Amino acid sequence: MSSKMALFFQTPALVYGSAIALRVILLFYGAWQDAHSAVKYTDIDYLVFTDAARYVSQGASPYARDTYRYTPLLAWMLLPTTWSGPSFLFSFGKALFALSDVLAGWLIARSLVSAYGMDAPRALKYASVWLLNPMVANISTRGSSEGLLGVLVIALLWAVLRRRVILAGVLLGLSVHFKIYPFIYGVSIIWWLDREHDGSSSTKTPSKPTTTNTSTTLSQILNFITPSRIILTLTSLTTFLLLNILMYTLYDTPFLQHTYLHHVTRIDHRHNFSPYSTLLYLSAAGEVQGNFESLAFIPQLLLSVVVIPLVLAKKSLPGTMLAQTFAFVTFNKVCTSQYFLWYLIFLSFYLPTSSMLRNPKFGGLVAALWVVGQALWLQQGYNLEFLGLSSFVPGLFLASMGFFAVNVWILGVIVDDVGSSS
Amino acid sequence: MKTRITYLQPPTSPFSAEQATLSSSSLNIRDLDAVKEVRVTVNVAEIGAEDGDGDTLVNDVLNRSDEIRIRWAREEEGGVAGGRVDPFGSRVSAGLHVGYTPLRTSPGDKEGICNLLRRLFDKGIQCENHSESFTTSSRSSKPTYQFYTSLPEHTLSEYITKNICRGDGPCATAGWERADSIDLDYDAVSGTLVVSGYWSQPDSADGWTEEIRAPGNDRDRVEVGLLGTEKAVEAEEIKMGGLLGVVGVDEALKPALFSFPSRHHVLPSQATFSVSFPQPTGMHPTMTISLSPAALEYPAAPEDTTCALHAYLTLPSYIFGDKYQLSTTDPLFLDSHHLVALRAVSGATDLEAPDWFVSHWGSNWLLELATPTDLPEERNVTVPLHLRYLRPSETGYRAAGVPWPVVFWACTAEGGTKMGVNPFDRVNLGWDGLFGPRTMFYQVHPSGETSRHVEELDVPVLRLNEGGFFRSKAVELGTVAALILGLLWVLWKLGAVARSGGQKHDKAKKSQ
Repeated sequence: MSSKMALFFQTPALVYGSAIALRVILLFYGAWQDAHSAVKYTDIDYLVFTDAARYVSQGASPYARDTYRYTPLLAWMLLPTTWSGPSFLFSFGKALFALSDVLAGWLIARSLVSAYGMDAPRALKYASVWLLNPMVANISTRGSSEGLLGVLVIALLWAVLRRRVILAGVLLGLSVHFKIYPFIYGVSIIWWLDREHDGSSSTKTPSKPTTTNTSTTLSQILNFITPSRIILTLTSLTTFLLLNILMYTLYDTPFLQHTYLHHVTRIDHRHNFSPYSTLLYLSAAGEVQGNFESLAFIPQLLLSVVVIPLVLAKKSLPGTMLAQTFAFVTFNKVCTSQYFLWYLIFLSFYLPTSSMLRNPKFGGLVAALWVVGQALWLQQGYNLEFLGLSSFVPGLFLASMGFFAVNVWILGVIVDDVGSSS
Repeated sequence: MKTRITYLQPPTSPFSAEQATLSSSSLNIRDLDAVKEVRVTVNVAEIGAEDGDGDTLVNDVLNRSDEIRIRWAREEEGGVAGGRVDPFGSRVSAGLHVGYTPLRTSPGDKEGICNLLRRLFDKGIQCENHSESFTTSSRSSKPTYQFYTSLPEHTLSEYITKNICRGDGPCATAGWERADSIDLDYDAVSGTLVVSGYWSQPDSADGWTEEIRAPGNDRDRVEVGLLGTEKAVEAEEIKMGGLLGVVGVDEALKPALFSFPSRHHVLPSQATFSVSFPQPTGMHPTMTISLSPAALEYPAAPEDTTCALHAYLTLPSYIFGDKYQLSTTDPLFLDSHHLVALRAVSGATDLEAPDWFVSHWGSNWLLELATPTDLPEERNVTVPLHLRYLRPSETGYRAAGVPWPVVFWACTAEGGTKMGVNPFDRVNLGWDGLFGPRTMFYQVHPSGETSRHVEELDVPVLRLNEGGFFRSKAVELGTVAALILGLLWVLWKLGAVARSGGQKHDKAKKSQ
């Protein structure tokens, strides 16, 4: 059995073929369910994207569609879904998202080989955590655009690890334009990208001059400013600004409002996995005197933008990006299950050196707690949404606190593991 | 002031001449089994306060309005077919409906119309101003703004009696507080206010016994009709016959027979619908409209017309439809709900906002319903709806009333003649403006099995027990504590990594 498994991972065609087959089957199944059942496989978000694409095809703004809160790029990409012709054209976007998934998996495997020195079968095995993950395939084929973001983020990581700084800068700018949160990677990449990592000093020589303490601060600052860091910063900012200027010229205020400002002004009173959700409901209803939730960005950004990159980035860039994303999602004011995909994509890089895989029992416990934490919350959510029971307190409140505790504990484990790798 | 009183007897009810005796000063009605309509037309200048001065608030608002259309309907209805008979067949959902067009030349203060509603109906009506609380419909151009609120009780009858009737004439003694529906119509062109009331049942079991007195001056006029309906020759027409008279002018009631094309018709009394929300309603209640077989039968409309069954929903802001879900053309979805299409929607259709952030009163939905080719016993039409978050409460629940929709067949004529003069015509009901001017409507009756035509939903909300454990403070402190502890835990872990990394670095230095 294990030899068969080994053979499977030795044959890339089999792995990628399976990943593609899984998605093709789901695409066809989805089309079948949509055609035969009033309960649709297709995600509601996909209807938002395709509606927006239709508006664009008619020369209108994609923001004419309510709840379209994405870059116009997404609507442009889905223009083929509006073409008249065979009905499978409607699934073009899903196929694109699914293909992005597979591409992201391929880049994961490539990076594992090139940056971690893994042999190809082992790299494929770990990349399969993403490639053959049914949850990932399901989300993409239902028409959620997270797969597109996944491939951008992994391509960014791949470009950085291959020292393709300009490409990395462009990808970073594009990802942030797409979904804001990847800006956190900018910090860790810049911190990681020292002379030792950027390829300018090929041998591992102690580049620090043995100076006395008096000039260290200045020399450290000067040392910090390297050509690669400057190039990355400039290319990413330029890409981000150019895209935004272009979209702003085309679509004016609605673009700014829906893509960016919405995230500042949104109320997010509806229940979700976030530990803040009960408090946000209360404060939105004017029942709270304090204004604590307006400070929510402090713990979130302190961890994901400052401390985690500074402490971990030079030890392992992918591990740091995982920890950053995990912290960002865990401490976010809103959290839905799609956000889990943001960190799941880094698992393939983290697992090989993790305590969770070294000690499978421990790993099982972590996975079980994560699943149980969600299940308890989902049960309370079901009681509210479908049974109409008032489960906000204590049910949903305690469930989201419990899930938060589990996540914070897992984050601690990840920090330990990434910290001890080098 | 002109007062027109119409008694409409059912065909089965006998009538003898002594039941209506006219003298030079009054008309005496005795034990008359009939529905009643009273229509009072006053000049705006005649509306006044009790002390004789004009009602400045009401006069100001009226003078700055192009038109105001107010329709109020009682939540409870009694009698066969809810007491609606031709030509008084048209309906609105229970509650207060307002159509409003301000004068373009002097828009005035935007709160005016809200103040008017509070003055006339109830001090507690939640209404800020016409641009924030009212909604606009893209389809019907006039009236420009619409408003709705549930209103089981109101003070309008008092206002009508004291400020509009201003005396003890038949207008004042009409018994407005028992009316099943009241309409107020104002338009700037005529400068008059028309108040119409409809009573589906007499105030006593024996029938109406009333003294209708002649007006005390020459300007006022009181007309009375004692009528019944007969079968008309043309399908679009209603034929009425009986006695007419002007109290204080005519010496005897005069027989009359006339017919007119009517916009509104009632279906046979077996054509009924009832509304329910299957339990548990959760946060996504499904409105179920159960139609009787007779309601599904194609109406006896003129041959050159095409008819379709419709439901017009009036949804307060806390409950709403997803316009993208409902405007789908997917036959699987539509068939599973027995819908044909969403024909019109207006108002608050935001999919995410909690109720307290929605300034508009709510939304209106015109749905075309599917009718089967073969007639089943009964048929359910379902409309998937969603609830907004409501403010926290002590019990963890809040009651949310949803009025029954109006269900009707709309029959449109290809060419057809223009609707002729109908003395009992009724327009500006919210839904009629969504159809062409030559459309005829056949009303399906709300089922008489339940008399109250409003469904109450229990909306789960955050339970806040300020005396007990679940206080807002507990949630706030709990959240803050959890977040700080979580943050400290991760920082401590990171600190441990940083410390050990530093030690390693030192060791590496020393070993060099």
